[in-house]
Order: sequence, then C-alpha cells, then structure tokens
Amino acid sequence: MSSRHYTRFELAHSQLEAAIALYITNRDRLSAITLAGAADVLLSQLVLRAGKQNFTDRVLEKELATGRAAITREVLGREVNDMLFINQLKHFDDDAQDVIELDVDQCALAAILKALANYVDLPEHQRDLVLAFKLWVQQNLDPKKYNIHCDPNWTPPPAED
Amino acid sequence: MQRIHRTEIARRQLQTAVELFLQGLDRSSVITLAGAASNVLDGLVRKAGKEAFIDYARRVHDHLVGGTPKRQTYSHHIDKKLGVVAHKHLGAADPETVELDLEKQAADVLARAIADYTTLYGQDEAFVKAYLQWAWVNTDGPAQMEAFKSAPAKLRQQKR
Repeated sequence: MSSRHYTRFELAHSQLEAAIALYITNRDRLSAITLAGAADVLLSQLVLRAGKQNFTDRVLEKELATGRAAITREVLGREVNDMLFINQLKHFDDDAQDVIELDVDQCALAAILKALANYVDLPEHQRDLVLAFKLWVQQNLDPKKYNIHCDPNWTPPPAED
Repeated sequence: MQRIHRTEIARRQLQTAVELFLQGLDRSSVITLAGAASNVLDGLVRKAGKEAFIDYARRVHDHLVGGTPKRQTYSHHIDKKLGVVAHKHLGAADPETVELDLEKQAADVLARAIADYTTLYGQDEAFVKAYLQWAWVNTDGPAQMEAFKSAPAKLRQQKR
C-alpha cells in the first residue's frame, strides 16, 4: 500500500466509468447514481476551471430565457441533484423519511448523462468511454422515448398523465 | 417508481463496494460507495438507539488523546482521512491533485461501514462474511484481537 498524487479528473473518470459499467450491466443502478453524482461534482468544477460553462450553467441559461426568476448556479445544481436523488442516497438527516420513492433506472441514466455532459468538455476525456455508452444507448433505449441519436431537431413525446 | 428503504440503499451500496474491492476493481468507487453507505448507516444506527462507529471513535479519542471531539467535526475529519471528501467535493480553491493511498483508504472506509452494518444486521450475509474474512487474513486479525483484549474494559463494551 502506498500513496501517490491523483488528479481530480482521474478520480472523476474512475467513478464515472464504474457508474456506466454498473448501469449497462444492470448490476446495481442505485450505486450508479451515487458514483455518477460524485464524479459530476468534480467534473462540474473542472469545467469551470477550464473557463467553460458547465452543464448546470447551460440549464440555468435556458431556465432564465424561459422566464424563471433569477437563481444561482448552486441553487439550480442542488435542485437537479435532488431530482436525481443524489443527495438522498448519501445522506440520512434526522428528519428524513425511512423510505424514498424514485425511478432508479431513470435517475441513474440521467445522472450518468449529466456527468458525461461535463466529462466531454474536458480535454482529458476518453472518447472510447463516451462512444461505448452512446452505442449502448442506441441499442437498448426506446427511440420513441429517448433522443438516442442526439438529433438536435428531436422533440420529446408528450408527458404521460 | 420504486419505494426503497434506507436500509436497502445502504446495503446495496455497501455490497457493491465490497464486491468491487474483493474483485480488485476501482478503489475510488469503493471509497465513494462505502462512504455513502456509512452516512446512511450512521443515521440508522442512531435511530435504533445503538452506538455508531463515529461515537465509538470519539470515545477512543477521549481515552487516547483526551477530550471528546464534536460529532460532526470528527466525522468530517475521518471522511477526509479516508479520502471520501476528495472523491465527492471540489471547491474553487482546492488543489487540482490530491495525495491518496487508495488501497488502504478503500479497506478502511469499508471497515467503518461494515462496523455500523454489523451493529444493525449482524455478520451473516455473504458479502459481510467475505469482507470480514479478507480483513482477518490481510490486516492481521489475531494481533488486532489481542490488542482489543488488552484495551480497557470501557473501550471493549459497546454503548447502547
């Protein structure tokens, strides 16, 4: 056992890679949420350090353009993480409920996609990892429900009641 | 939609962490998953009226160093020592690189989570047995038990 220096990108990459493996093999999608969430915290900051807008910034821009009251990147980031249950899976506050209700598959997919959106904006990213996940998406997800070919003109189906 | 109890959340994260560890897979993911499981288990142990790992560690600190550190402060200190914080937090002023011993820290984060898990659910599940067996063989279990036996009685008893 010995110590060495790791870049934050290395730590994020390892966790994102494991999250994708746990997700596509359906081995443990709950843990994929936690890992993608942790990776994304590091990646989001690294994108900012690279002088770019991160995923949350881009969502924030769209939200403000559609008339939402001004909020900060931090507040929106927390909202998105809460929506994906990232915080609830790693904390248990005194006043929290014993049971949580979530769609594990959807949250895991969204958490990975959010992390990937930041990952690909960094020059060190490994293209093969991104392409492998993209291929899995194209072969396994419903094209009526998901924009599996990343078509900019694709529109989502109407929400179910 | 699925309804999932916190117990199941902690179990799945910890089980996957143990499996990744024993298969020689990514240590960073072991640290993050066992760290998350620990947070959930800490709440469950306290809710069950039992003594959590962190509270036992505070008693040990009092015995060895003197003074009982604040719960939240000490918990964060241990998270930093175990590399948990480096894997899930990056502030604007934090350095780009961090020095870690991933192999040792992964084993230690698992030990902490397993301690709270066994306090609640015992040692019968296969993944728990597998980790305990690994720890017994690889961290000199017999020597640790001898050291434990020679510790003061108040440190050998778990508070309820």
